[in-house]
Amino acid sequence: MRKIEISPITRLEGHGKIAIFLDDAGNVDDAFFQTVEFRGFEKFLQGMPMEEVPRTVSTVCGVCRGVHFTASMKASDGVFGVTPPPAGRKLRELFFNAHYVEDHSVILYALGLPDFVVGPESNPAERNVVGLINAVGKEVGRDVLRRRGLAVKIFELLGGKPNHPVAAVPGGWSKQLCEDERKQIEEWSKELVGLGELTLKVFDDVVLKNDKYMELVTGDMYRVEVGYMGSVDEQERITYYDGTQKIIDSDGNLVGTFKGKEYLDFISERVQPWTYLKFPYQKKIGPWKGIVEGPGTNIYAVGPLARMNIVKGMDTPLAQLHFEKFHATFGAKPVHNVLAYHWARAIELLNAAEKCLQLSRDPEITSKDIWNKPTSCPGEGVGVIEAPRGTLIHHYCTDGKGIVTDANLIVATTHNNAPINLAVKKAAKHFIKNGDVSPAMLNYVEMAFRPYDLCLACATHTVTGGQSPLLVEIFDANGTLYKTLKNF
Amino acid sequence: MDTQCVVVGIGNPYLQDDRAGVVVIERLEQDNLDCRTEVVYTVGFEVMDKIRGCERAIIVDACMLGNEPGSILEVGVDDIFSTHALINSHAITLGTTLKTGYLCFPEEMPADIRILLIEVKEIKEFTQQMSPEVEAAVDIVVERIKGLIAGKVAAG
Repeated sequence: MRKIEISPITRLEGHGKIAIFLDDAGNVDDAFFQTVEFRGFEKFLQGMPMEEVPRTVSTVCGVCRGVHFTASMKASDGVFGVTPPPAGRKLRELFFNAHYVEDHSVILYALGLPDFVVGPESNPAERNVVGLINAVGKEVGRDVLRRRGLAVKIFELLGGKPNHPVAAVPGGWSKQLCEDERKQIEEWSKELVGLGELTLKVFDDVVLKNDKYMELVTGDMYRVEVGYMGSVDEQERITYYDGTQKIIDSDGNLVGTFKGKEYLDFISERVQPWTYLKFPYQKKIGPWKGIVEGPGTNIYAVGPLARMNIVKGMDTPLAQLHFEKFHATFGAKPVHNVLAYHWARAIELLNAAEKCLQLSRDPEITSKDIWNKPTSCPGEGVGVIEAPRGTLIHHYCTDGKGIVTDANLIVATTHNNAPINLAVKKAAKHFIKNGDVSPAMLNYVEMAFRPYDLCLACATHTVTGGQSPLLVEIFDANGTLYKTLKNF
Repeated sequence: MDTQCVVVGIGNPYLQDDRAGVVVIERLEQDNLDCRTEVVYTVGFEVMDKIRGCERAIIVDACMLGNEPGSILEVGVDDIFSTHALINSHAITLGTTLKTGYLCFPEEMPADIRILLIEVKEIKEFTQQMSPEVEAAVDIVVERIKGLIAGKVAAG
């Protein structure tokens, strides 16, 4: 049996490794997505005052800084038994939606779209954001980057500090929004809506109008049949900051709904000896059945595609139109086509921008009543949010003074661990035949995980560097290395 | 064009030697230097945002390139754009960020940019304690940056 390793995989946040095993005929026998390092962030949080946690966990990941901040902030409400007043909640939502716009735009333009705009078989040295800008034109690149920068400005204005926010307090928000700031955010939000519309136009022009790409988007090689989980509001529309978690099985049947700590009734985590990343599964469907897809599987996915599958619609008008086009294109629901994550992400970018605009026009957003001061410390809190990558759960237990005694973080990439393994294996089986392991074929395999917008920095709480980004070692049937491919 | 000089430190303040860039900035801020200082915890487009509009930029980051821990490298934008080994925890590398900036905003990006990298020893555990090798390198980098800034002031 021959073994191919892609280590570390490229253009995702954090590092991992894909190992592909070939049989004697040179076809794929099996494939695994692995993470190999661990740094124990939950342990690091023990002993920390709960009110300090949001500011600290925002450093878990330089990209996901707003999501860990928000999830732990919500958990801190539970720890201190207090609920934010409406204006405090709206400021949190505005902040979070601005972060969505920033995050989704970076992921789409820098990590996801180069495969389509530059081309999946193009030179790896050009298949990146610089190559994308060269392809679409500098003016478009400038416009996207400028508008994305406005989302960052909203994030920083509300968060109180560049890059890593500090405005969280249990029971609300520490920084009131004045009228001048509100007007500024409203103007910026109009431009963010424009960014969302531009992004969907780029996706339409580049992907939807390209028959070859649509074969990939709708084809079986990138189709993984699993269940889905995400947040819905009271009308079962999409929501990111707060809602009820809804779970469906691979056929679209409702498995259940839950809030907060009830996640323990629905989700179990399976440990495998070959990776530090756990494998969550839906225990309401039954005991661990392995990393399998299809009817009866208790594997589930989260993130933009999952949200498109579990909601009845979007809560903003422009995004709703694209939601309808999305489902009309694929027909059956749930949509299991992994590359559809990119389209779903673009729709959410527009939705989050529209939400920013709505919230900036809400008269209550400038209210002085933004904080309900805690008066007790019940000691336990769970914060569940829909991060751009998918459901994020922060669960904290504290002593009577609010000092963290235990912490559990389940991040989107962990929820998606099993589906990613399934997607990689499926693509590998389709694209690698008779020992053809050219860089182009391997990029088609990598395209199977990129839609999930992995963040291994969060998933295993790892930072690393300095290794070759794409190293492929090919062994013959005797296990002897006879060829090495690399893109550096 | 803002004529300011900006020094940007990149790193995670809680992650062993990865915090080197942050510590450099903290040390520089103890003196009243003729430059703006910024800290970012990631090498995403935020780095580009911080240096746009400045005539001169100095960037300090940790690296893991297989050199002796505490080694200090000075590199150019093209060096780190084409060297995939400089990939870090986020695949939007520092080189990609800067290259994108010079591609899209050539008139706003610094004419003079210096990138200083400090080779790490340990970055796998959450702690605010750096290795002695990197501690020593931070001292050297701080002094080098002070010299660079002073030179600019004298020349100006």
